Amino acid sequence: MELIMKFKSLIYLTAFVFLAFSQTACEDIVEVDVEQKQKKLVVDAFIDNQLQTQTIRLTESIPFFDLPGTEPPVTTATVVLADTSTGKIFPFIHDSMGYYRWNPNEMSGDTLTVGSSYALFIIENGDTVVGITKLYPTADRIDSLRTVPTKGNGPPFIDTGRYCEIFAYDLPGIGNHYWLKTFRNDTLLGDINDLNISQDMGNNSNGQDGDLFIYPVRFSQLNEFLRPYVDGEKVRVEIHSISREAYFWFQLIVNESNNGGLFATPPVNIMSNLFYLNQNPKRGIAGFFNVAAVNAAEITVVE
Amino acid sequence: MRWSKALWLFSFFFAFVGLKAQNYSLSGFVKDSTSGESIKGAVVKNLSDGASVTTNNYGFFSLTLPSGQQSVRISAGEYEGVTLVRNVQSDEQISIYLLPRADEIDEVRIRAKRNDNVRAVDISTQSITGKVIKKIPAFLGEADVIKSIQLLPGVTTVGEGATGFNVRGGGIDQNLVLMDDAPVFNSAHLFGFFSIFNPDAVKDVQLIKGGIPAKYGGRLSSVLDVITKDGNNRDYQVNGGVGTIFSRLTFEGPLVKNKASFLVSGRRSYIDVLAKPLLNEDLEGSQFYFYDFTAKFNYDNGKDKFFVSTYIGDDLFFAANAFGVKWGNSTLSARWNHIFNDKLFSNLTYYYSRYRYNLEFNIGDDLSFDWQSYINNHSLKTDFTYYLNSKNEIGFGGSSTYYIFEPGTATAVNNLGENTFGVPNKYAMENAIYLSDDWTPNNRFTIRAGIRGSQFLYLGKSNVYTFRDPFAEGQRRFVDSVWQAGDNEVIQQYLNLEPRFGFKYQWNRYTSIKGGYNRMVQNLHLISNTAASVPFDVWSPSTNNIKPELADQYTIGYFKNFSIGKQEFESSAEVYYKDMLNQVDYVDGANLLLNELLEGELINGIGRAYGLELYVKKATGDLTGWVSYTLSRSERKSPGISDNEWYPSRFDRLHNLYIVAQYRLNKKWDLAANFVFSSGTPTTFYTGQYSIQGYTIPDAGSNDRNNVRNPNYHRLDLSATYTKKKKGKWESNWVFSVYNAYNRRNPFSIYFENNYQNTGINQAIQFSVIGSIVPAISYNFKWN
Repeated sequence: MELIMKFKSLIYLTAFVFLAFSQTACEDIVEVDVEQKQKKLVVDAFIDNQLQTQTIRLTESIPFFDLPGTEPPVTTATVVLADTSTGKIFPFIHDSMGYYRWNPNEMSGDTLTVGSSYALFIIENGDTVVGITKLYPTADRIDSLRTVPTKGNGPPFIDTGRYCEIFAYDLPGIGNHYWLKTFRNDTLLGDINDLNISQDMGNNSNGQDGDLFIYPVRFSQLNEFLRPYVDGEKVRVEIHSISREAYFWFQLIVNESNNGGLFATPPVNIMSNLFYLNQNPKRGIAGFFNVAAVNAAEITVVE
Repeated sequence: MRWSKALWLFSFFFAFVGLKAQNYSLSGFVKDSTSGESIKGAVVKNLSDGASVTTNNYGFFSLTLPSGQQSVRISAGEYEGVTLVRNVQSDEQISIYLLPRADEIDEVRIRAKRNDNVRAVDISTQSITGKVIKKIPAFLGEADVIKSIQLLPGVTTVGEGATGFNVRGGGIDQNLVLMDDAPVFNSAHLFGFFSIFNPDAVKDVQLIKGGIPAKYGGRLSSVLDVITKDGNNRDYQVNGGVGTIFSRLTFEGPLVKNKASFLVSGRRSYIDVLAKPLLNEDLEGSQFYFYDFTAKFNYDNGKDKFFVSTYIGDDLFFAANAFGVKWGNSTLSARWNHIFNDKLFSNLTYYYSRYRYNLEFNIGDDLSFDWQSYINNHSLKTDFTYYLNSKNEIGFGGSSTYYIFEPGTATAVNNLGENTFGVPNKYAMENAIYLSDDWTPNNRFTIRAGIRGSQFLYLGKSNVYTFRDPFAEGQRRFVDSVWQAGDNEVIQQYLNLEPRFGFKYQWNRYTSIKGGYNRMVQNLHLISNTAASVPFDVWSPSTNNIKPELADQYTIGYFKNFSIGKQEFESSAEVYYKDMLNQVDYVDGANLLLNELLEGELINGIGRAYGLELYVKKATGDLTGWVSYTLSRSERKSPGISDNEWYPSRFDRLHNLYIVAQYRLNKKWDLAANFVFSSGTPTTFYTGQYSIQGYTIPDAGSNDRNNVRNPNYHRLDLSATYTKKKKGKWESNWVFSVYNAYNRRNPFSIYFENNYQNTGINQAIQFSVIGSIVPAISYNFKWN
């Protein structure tokens, strides 16, 4: 009896200690001393073969603890896109704030063609940057974009409601890469965790090929799981073709954005597919160059 | 070069044979007189000529004696020594029972200074008994094998809650962790706060960091040999404890008195049970616990001894039935000790061991994801010890292990169908043979020479990939070609010779110099690039693309025992240098989970580690404990990483100071404290940022990996044990402990995130696993 009493009191005590313990891991905001040793020229060159104004943006990287979005624009560069298959040149002209634009013209044949290789030249302050890529075909068969009633178990994971799913086919053959952009009422789901890329039928599809996109590519990032789609909402999913290098580049930025805590991996220097032609450039280089073909599906949600 | 070294060693062996004289042997077992447990490491010494042997893991010894009147002294750490006087006229087999030394005994009476640490040829080797482990102040009051090991020189960890331990600059997968001869792949409970070894069932723990004997192989850095108790074969005994986080119970006793015994032991955590009433609706139905269960049976008829032991343990975390992680080991081992004659002892072991993990999400009735993974291995090994004469102890044997890696199949389900994806199984076989001799030409000098030959076969059925050279060094490699290997087809074979060497020169009774060299080969690789390892990290065998890891280690040490007044001390100073080849490194942003093309994400690097280890121990008196200091470096070099320069590995810690002290206040109260200081681990910080397509991307600037240091780690733990007077068969004590006594927030890592809500500016977050004082109480009992 005495022993049972002892155990009981111990358990009460234990519960108290456990409560104390559950609070034990902690996170503190600390000041760390980091010095940005090298500024980088940042090239945001994701263009496509649609017949609308194409834009490339040039900025300069900023210190890590500065306010994002305050990157100074680079406005004095010469930006030229070249179709290396035909030798055609398409100049991008500076508009404002580091945005360089070019308008394709079907009449004069100034368009970008699937299968062609493209080179991007940027001459700025005596340095020459070049990037090379190819315009790959994109998924050409989209059966449907549908909403699917789904029963969830509520916050913090998933609410019950209608969620979108796309039934589209990967192109036959290994080595196709896609970027699926979802627009909800014309606004891109732009959080880094909504970034939806696919290698053939899906990430880690390990050789499966030419069939419907698999889960989670076809579903997860098309939705905000605590905000199901409701009647009247417009959903548009664009499938952009990307190069294999772009696929891994996107994968890197997703990894880096979610890196922290107990199981963090060492921060990495995210590579670029652009490089300097000259020795000893004044800045480093960052950013990416991709030319996409685009296919899209759009629905209006009805209950 | 490598081969000539090996030949030289071989020629050594054959020089020893033929030294046999006209003598008799005294052989048998040394056992505990109260429990019948065999005693490992007991010294049996002929007092007239000083020749001695040490009992092996099973308590066996064989000592060659000249005929006539001989005095033999048998002594062991926590036991009263005995002296046998024998008129030796023939070979003789005996069992010697030693009486455990009572704690109350006046320590001054213990005259016989044993100087085992000075006398033995073993270098870089440390033993801790279950008894000592229980005295060290521990996290939440729970004595722990791995946490105790982390207080020894040359051993570090990347932080609290991190799985495993690092020895002399090696990775956590580079330690061969054996439980009763069966290897354990993941020795952690609750990520790494506790280890799977139940201290009530542990008899003896030995860590070998250098001069590794030829009988061990398969890992680069160390051997952690955990031996569990056989079970009391004289009386029934119950041990147990009720702690803050879990309870444990061990029951042991004779099946046939003095011949057969059993031990069953279990632990279960009960955070989930205690937390149940406190969980809010979201977390209702959560499961959160771990358990382990050990059972052992043995039978001894004098000439033969049989052991069967099994271990099963799991960790489960299921949050609100929504997502869950589960992992655990199971092992089954059967062993047979056979004494062929007075000079030849053998052990045959079969074991099966399995490591499994499972990850699942179930975020709605129509949405689920389930991933299962296993590593299975079957092994047969045999070890012989031939006590040739008083000068030579020869060991030889071999082993064969078959591995099945099931990296996993994941099934994703939603209400429109099911997708299964995964990585195919991998198969491998590892064979080894070894030969070694401990040669003691005179009382001052001992040489240990050995050689191990290992064969590793990467077998089908499998898709075999070859990869193109990377676009640039350090970049991902893409598939060049693939072919399908059939069942048991040999895809790749690796043969390696591993010379081992050690020597001891004894200056006098209290002083010796020792040296050791070992080459180690490792064919199983833990593929992990996170700061702390996770239970679902992938293990891979050596393949046609992943080469076996190799290490050459050189170590030399000075061992001295001394006294200051009546206080006696053991001390040692060792330096080591280790060269490592074919170290697994990772491309930036490597994709390691469920990736069939994993090999393309890996880079073949090299490593080096070197250091100085100082150790002073006080084993007797009211105040006992040790101070250990390690000055060390651990570096890696990989193509394309850090501009092809040496960079610090993620477990590089320059200074490590550990102080462990226990003080016996009186018959009721024991006090204990330990203090730990370690230099901060290296890490990489972002320096810049930019944005592309609306995504903000952090920029590490240059290509230097691990270019900054986390702050230093230091911590003090205290405990007090109150032992109640023994009442009949019932003994008990209360342990009050405080972990992290001065409330230091030791950083585990520093990471960065954007403060979206307020400033929109990035901030550095220091993550501390233990950010407060952690007090605990536990109650331990013994019925005997």
